[in-house]
Amino acid sequence: MYVNGVFIDDTFAEAFPMRAARIVVTAVNERWAREAALKLTGFATSVIACKCEAAIERELEPRETPDARPGVSVLLFAMDTESLGKRLVERIGQTVLTCPTTSCFDGLPDADRRLTSGRALRVFGDGFQGSKVVGGDRFWRIPVMDGECLLQESFGVAKGIGGGNFIILGADTRRTLAAAEASVAAIANMPGIILPFPGGVARSGSKVGSRRYKSLAASTNDAYCPTLRPLTSSSLPDDVHSVLELVLDGLDEQSIQRAMRAGISAACLPGVRAITAGNYGGKLGPHHFPLRSIVGAHADGGARA
Amino acid sequence: MSDHVTLTLRAPLEASIEADSIVPNAFASLGEPEIGALPVWAGRTRCALADFFDISGGRSSNVRVVGDVRHAHGIATGMAGGSLVVDGDAGSRLAGGITGGVVEVLGDAGDDAGAAMSGGSLRIRRNAGDRVGAGLPGASRGMTGGEIVVGGSVGADAGARMRRGLLFVGGDAGRLAARAIIAGTVIVIGRVGPEPAFASKRGSLVVAGGVNVPPTYRHACDYEPPHVRLALTYLARQYELSLGRELVEGRYRRYCGDASTVGKGEILTWIQE
Repeated sequence: MYVNGVFIDDTFAEAFPMRAARIVVTAVNERWAREAALKLTGFATSVIACKCEAAIERELEPRETPDARPGVSVLLFAMDTESLGKRLVERIGQTVLTCPTTSCFDGLPDADRRLTSGRALRVFGDGFQGSKVVGGDRFWRIPVMDGECLLQESFGVAKGIGGGNFIILGADTRRTLAAAEASVAAIANMPGIILPFPGGVARSGSKVGSRRYKSLAASTNDAYCPTLRPLTSSSLPDDVHSVLELVLDGLDEQSIQRAMRAGISAACLPGVRAITAGNYGGKLGPHHFPLRSIVGAHADGGARA
Repeated sequence: MSDHVTLTLRAPLEASIEADSIVPNAFASLGEPEIGALPVWAGRTRCALADFFDISGGRSSNVRVVGDVRHAHGIATGMAGGSLVVDGDAGSRLAGGITGGVVEVLGDAGDDAGAAMSGGSLRIRRNAGDRVGAGLPGASRGMTGGEIVVGGSVGADAGARMRRGLLFVGGDAGRLAARAIIAGTVIVIGRVGPEPAFASKRGSLVVAGGVNVPPTYRHACDYEPPHVRLALTYLARQYELSLGRELVEGRYRRYCGDASTVGKGEILTWIQE
């Protein structure tokens, strides 16, 4: 199968269950909402070493936020609910609470399972904190030096999916990166999706474990490193000299499918030879995203253009 | 089963009646005859609802009361769910002790509206009497949850001894507003009468139209309280209130008190700029 002359590999992306929270940060203006969100999502590319994966989902208009201020929606994923709760307390406490003028709200109000992260953080108020119930939800007022920080008491937990992915095989770094950028742009602002790696793109795709260092949980995906073509059992065609990966975390399968479809279609640019995906033979996770059925409607009909 | 139950007052009430049997969630399992047989007290005389109202519909928790029922007291007492619309004025003790559901009065309400409520919402389009959202006589607590939105003005003791919840007044409030509140929020867009938030322990009295802050409250700072912005935004969206941006986004002067108690309460007065 080809899309715009780009070969779509007959394989699937393999993803696994995670737990997710949506955090809505508002501030006096877009700048400060974004500053807080950037810190909140810092060092959160992969659960392998960061304990969570997080990124900005989209920016919010004042009409979309609880306090009618500019906001940013962030999705944060962890492997289990307990870990998610710890990450929320750490990150909201150190980034949103510290950032001038911000307030922090739950973005999953319908979720049954709740984490009382705001309640845990209230004690920073050293007994001077207070709470308010508005619209049935409790919010903590924590006195800070610019006034008060308002934190919602509880955050909803969703059953998310981590590790959706596709891999762009290109003729050179410049054009492969351009394709990845186009992909990221196509996925940006889609609801329920984040791309946790820098700029949405990962170059250090990994395999489970290590051939040489037994203590490593993950090591370089040598089969996709062009410089190792003659040294390992390479998966790269001869005309591929650069590879980049997009990793997607989503709130549900539909969100990931929609984002993969848009991202793969956008990535099929001149200089891109093929699109493939990472999987572990179905042993890692229950969520499988077959590339060809996802992009089916956009295909060229099976012939190279 | 019908979409809603309509109670139409047959003739103007010449004397007060106790109509605490008009409770929407109780109507959900009753047909027309059973609803009509519910007790209503006229002084010491036990009557039936059908003696005063034409009843149409049954087995629904959505109820509409049509007619001037300002002499019918205790409507929606203890209501736990459903909806009730009073198509005119309502008597005293409306929605006392409700735990859920939505009550709306298109006209005025008497004294003690929403007294001791713990959930649900009560909306009064025009004015309410004394002790809206306060407690029952002798009780240590006023409302402990839910929301009351009054479009007009309210009498004395609004929100007295409130423990939790939100009371919004679009007009003025009488004397002793937010008296001895334990927590919760009272927002008054108009003026507030003498002795506001007297002896309050915690909780917030937010005033936009002017108030004489008692000497037992001490000025803390002028700032933009995020919880006021949140509450006003919520009220504007939920109840389609037109609150000016200057109130929602404005600065407020915070006074801490009442110093005669634990002093963790506050009066926030809007700063007109």
